[in-house]
Amino acid sequence: MKPSKASQRYRSIRRNANLYQESLFLSNLDDSFNADEAGDSHDPEQIFQNIQFQKDLMANIRCRPWPMGQKLRALRRAKEIVLKFEGRLTRTRGYQAAGAELWRKFARLACNFVVIFIPWEMRIKKIESHFGSGVASYFIFLRWLFGINIMLTVMTSAFIVIPELIAGQPFGSTASKTVPKEHIASAQDLDTVWSLGGYLQYSVLFYGYYGRERRIGRAGYRLPLAYFLVGMAVFAYSFIILLRKMAKNSRTSLASASHENYTFCWRVFCAWDYLIGNPEAAESKTAAIVNSIREAILEEQEKKKSKNLAVTICLRIIANILVLLSLAGSIYLIYFVVDRSQKLEQSKKELTLWEKNEVSVVVSLVTMLAPSAFDLIAALEMYHPRTSLRFQLARVLVLYLGNLYSLIIALLDKVNSMSILEAATKNNTNNRPDSTTFFATRTTSVEEQWSSLQPGMGLRKNSTWALEEASTPTLPMPFTPTNRTSLHHQWPQDQCWETYVGQELLKLSIIDMLFTVASILLIDFFRGLFVRYLSDYWCWDLESTFPEYGEFKIAENVLHLVYNQGMIWMGAFFSPCLPAFNVLKLIGLMYLRSWAVLTCNVPHQQVFRASRSNNFYLSMLLFMLFLCMLPTIFAIVRYKPSLNCGPFSGQEKIYDIVSETIANDFPVWFNRVVGYISSPVVILPALLLLLYLYGPSESMGDIPKSRSCPPVTLKKHLEDVHSESLFQKAFQKGNPPLPRPGASVLAAHGRRPQAPRYDLIREQKAHKNFWPERRFKINASGDIVELYPRNTRPCVPSGPRQALSPQLSDEEEILGRDWTRQAFHPRSLTDLHWAPHFYVGDRTVGQSLAPEDLRRKHCKSWNDGFEDQLAHPVYVPKKPRSRYVQYPQPPLKPRAKPQFEPPLTESDSMSVASSSDQEHSSTDQYLQVVHSHAKNPRPVGQRGRRKAKSGQELTTDLNDLICSNV
Amino acid sequence: MGSKQTVFTHEQLEAYQDNPFRQRIAQVFSEDGDGHMTLDNFLDMFSVMSEMAPRDLKAYYAFKIYDFNNDDYICAWDLEQTVSRLTRGELSAEEVSLVCEKVLDEADGDHDGRLSLEDFQNMILRAPDFLSTFHIRI
Repeated sequence: MKPSKASQRYRSIRRNANLYQESLFLSNLDDSFNADEAGDSHDPEQIFQNIQFQKDLMANIRCRPWPMGQKLRALRRAKEIVLKFEGRLTRTRGYQAAGAELWRKFARLACNFVVIFIPWEMRIKKIESHFGSGVASYFIFLRWLFGINIMLTVMTSAFIVIPELIAGQPFGSTASKTVPKEHIASAQDLDTVWSLGGYLQYSVLFYGYYGRERRIGRAGYRLPLAYFLVGMAVFAYSFIILLRKMAKNSRTSLASASHENYTFCWRVFCAWDYLIGNPEAAESKTAAIVNSIREAILEEQEKKKSKNLAVTICLRIIANILVLLSLAGSIYLIYFVVDRSQKLEQSKKELTLWEKNEVSVVVSLVTMLAPSAFDLIAALEMYHPRTSLRFQLARVLVLYLGNLYSLIIALLDKVNSMSILEAATKNNTNNRPDSTTFFATRTTSVEEQWSSLQPGMGLRKNSTWALEEASTPTLPMPFTPTNRTSLHHQWPQDQCWETYVGQELLKLSIIDMLFTVASILLIDFFRGLFVRYLSDYWCWDLESTFPEYGEFKIAENVLHLVYNQGMIWMGAFFSPCLPAFNVLKLIGLMYLRSWAVLTCNVPHQQVFRASRSNNFYLSMLLFMLFLCMLPTIFAIVRYKPSLNCGPFSGQEKIYDIVSETIANDFPVWFNRVVGYISSPVVILPALLLLLYLYGPSESMGDIPKSRSCPPVTLKKHLEDVHSESLFQKAFQKGNPPLPRPGASVLAAHGRRPQAPRYDLIREQKAHKNFWPERRFKINASGDIVELYPRNTRPCVPSGPRQALSPQLSDEEEILGRDWTRQAFHPRSLTDLHWAPHFYVGDRTVGQSLAPEDLRRKHCKSWNDGFEDQLAHPVYVPKKPRSRYVQYPQPPLKPRAKPQFEPPLTESDSMSVASSSDQEHSSTDQYLQVVHSHAKNPRPVGQRGRRKAKSGQELTTDLNDLICSNV
Repeated sequence: MGSKQTVFTHEQLEAYQDNPFRQRIAQVFSEDGDGHMTLDNFLDMFSVMSEMAPRDLKAYYAFKIYDFNNDDYICAWDLEQTVSRLTRGELSAEEVSLVCEKVLDEADGDHDGRLSLEDFQNMILRAPDFLSTFHIRI
């Protein structure tokens, strides 16, 4: 396989390079040629072409590898020619050009200026030069998270905290804003403050403090509404920013999809950073280069190692069992601790400091210790270091998630039991003989709005929380007012479960921070000191044997950040200041970590690049965001907000604030429209549509600013296509061909979906880039049918696939083919969506309804997208098989082959690989379709997707045609 | 200027020129090939090394820089030169030769034991960080 792959690559290189050479050569020739010709040509066509050429030249003069003198000469000449033949530019054009130039310069200046304000750049660079890109990527990630948290902080403080502080009712004015009398004595005790009780509990830190007035201040700021919207906006913003970042990253990282192929080359030729101008930096850069080359060598040797299979498998099984056990153990432990603390709180009046904090301490301990345990276990498995890093990451992520989830579930459980207690109290007070003493307070309390809602609430709470079968029947339907007042007296603060959850999460965050600091000091700093200074007096060599110096563990640290951020997301709704706290925490972490890394850690002996792919971190973060959003959303949707605290008190559900606002403050028609829109029938597709549209538009927006000229873009595009096909090939090879559609669906779905999707996006944008030129061709020649297939063949990108087929036996080939299609499938799916769209949008501008319509349509199909994905593989494999039944294989293959050999020396379209026997008809078919597309693009595109026999490959081909034509 | 030193000693100048390929860069861009640059050559250099220069141009000149013996191919000897300059001789001879071998193995498309411009361009243009590192800011 290898030689054929190499030679194929070589050929593609050859072609690309030739192209470039040609362009260089041609331009060189043209330069002199045009100079001679400039004066004496009189044919208008020629003059026009000449002008066009000179303009191109002026635009792309930068791309020519000429010495400066030649460039200047050429430029001057070109300008002369253009001036002479075209006449002077009009004045407005001149201003426009000047303005554009000015703007460009300004943008560049601004860009340079902004760079100064990127925080910690030097620090990170220093770390990078000492520890390589892996460790630095942790800090870059940290900085990025810091940016996100700043935004979240700005959002919460600007729209919630500051308005409340300025315009809300002052501290002490209402029950929810005062420290209750029985607690006031201990409100300033250290352990109260430590467990965020006392004054802190009744401050803007937590949900409970915010007032329930619909409008506050003179301006009538709607605080509750703002609270809700900001709470949702936090999630929305995080999602958007994450997806954007991921799209951006995937664009850059895809260029290195064939990463493995050029490890050494890149490490040699791209290693030196020409920006370095500082001897110290150069020193460390050299060290880094040596390091990376050694690493590459090591990796190379690692590949050759052979191992004892049986033992390793056994070890791995044991290791996995151990990991599972410890996961289960940690989850159980957390649940147990929460349960215990809950019981303690009920039984004891005074809790010790430990008892108050044991939940967060235990959680932090588990999160700190378990990864090290996993690390030890991973040593059993003897994986390649990169693989083991991945495993480690996955396990730690599961652990963190388990922790957070068991914590939040336990907390919500506690919220439930609070309500049980509450119900129990009601019963008790109901039966109390002295209830009449409270009766006097009744009149006053009834005036308060909240209490008028109470009886119903009690019932509803019981019914929704569905836990207390015992208490529900005993509840008397008509509450006496006594209950209410007594309730009010007895459970004023404990009732605020939102504050409680917020407190718990903030506490967890604080304790987590302390543990991080402690672990940095203990594990890194003191160990470093110990090893450094006691080494001489110790009986063994401390530096190289047992304790050693600490290494910076990228994986755990990144995950810790992810976990930390998850905590913030989980708690941000209940404690609006949590992001602000996190900002401080991240700043501290940045300085402490970078200091610790630079002073006490040693560079990894084997720096593996697994952590280079930042999208891995991001996808973990995305995962975390999603999972952390769930409990919060669940709590918002499911539970009734506390009665006497918080902005939503007295409402049935938290989100009622929106409908209430819409009902009261918007015109009636709007209300009705919202009613229609908010039905799930509309919302769900709309959401998916947004998600779907977002990706492509996001990544397409970037292209125009690529500072390149036509030949360069062309090459770039070809490169992309090639690398993609290589990538796909790797994918094919890695997985055994699966005949069963179900399995293939899994394969296509399970881990990959992101990669192929972004693939296409890249490709699409390339298409878009090339569109004008293609259109030009159509216009100029008019005869597409003739033009396309001929031009296409040598350039269609899916080359390697062909090489695959001859070596397979018939049976295998069928499978291989199926697989090819399936592997290809996602690409073609989106291509399908886009191909018609482009046609309409760009070519036939006159059709007004088309783009919008189409867009909706293909989004719809994305919607059932998975159905599509499911449907395709099922339907695709059938075709080739049925074909094979009809056409016996062996005689056909040789016939098809030679026929296509001459034009496609090295490629070609999937049709060759996928249905060699059908070549004739296939060619005809797509000629036809190209034709009809040109005439009446839309319907054919639509129908073609569903019906046309090889619609899938047709459109793919079409796309290939488009790109190859340039 | 105040207390700042305005005249550099030779050693200091040496220390500030850290690019391992500085001689090559000067040679490649100079007209006479021995490192003496005219103003135009100097401008050329910065035009190529600027952030705005297109990839292909950069790749073309990078190739010239790494082609130590100016024979339009990067051969094993060129590679050894490159590696030893990059690492300041910290790698052992076996390691260097192993690296050279691997590089040729990876990028040499036509199996002639040396890298042509085409091989080189194809390899370098796919590198993720070539563009970001191959430039000079002034």
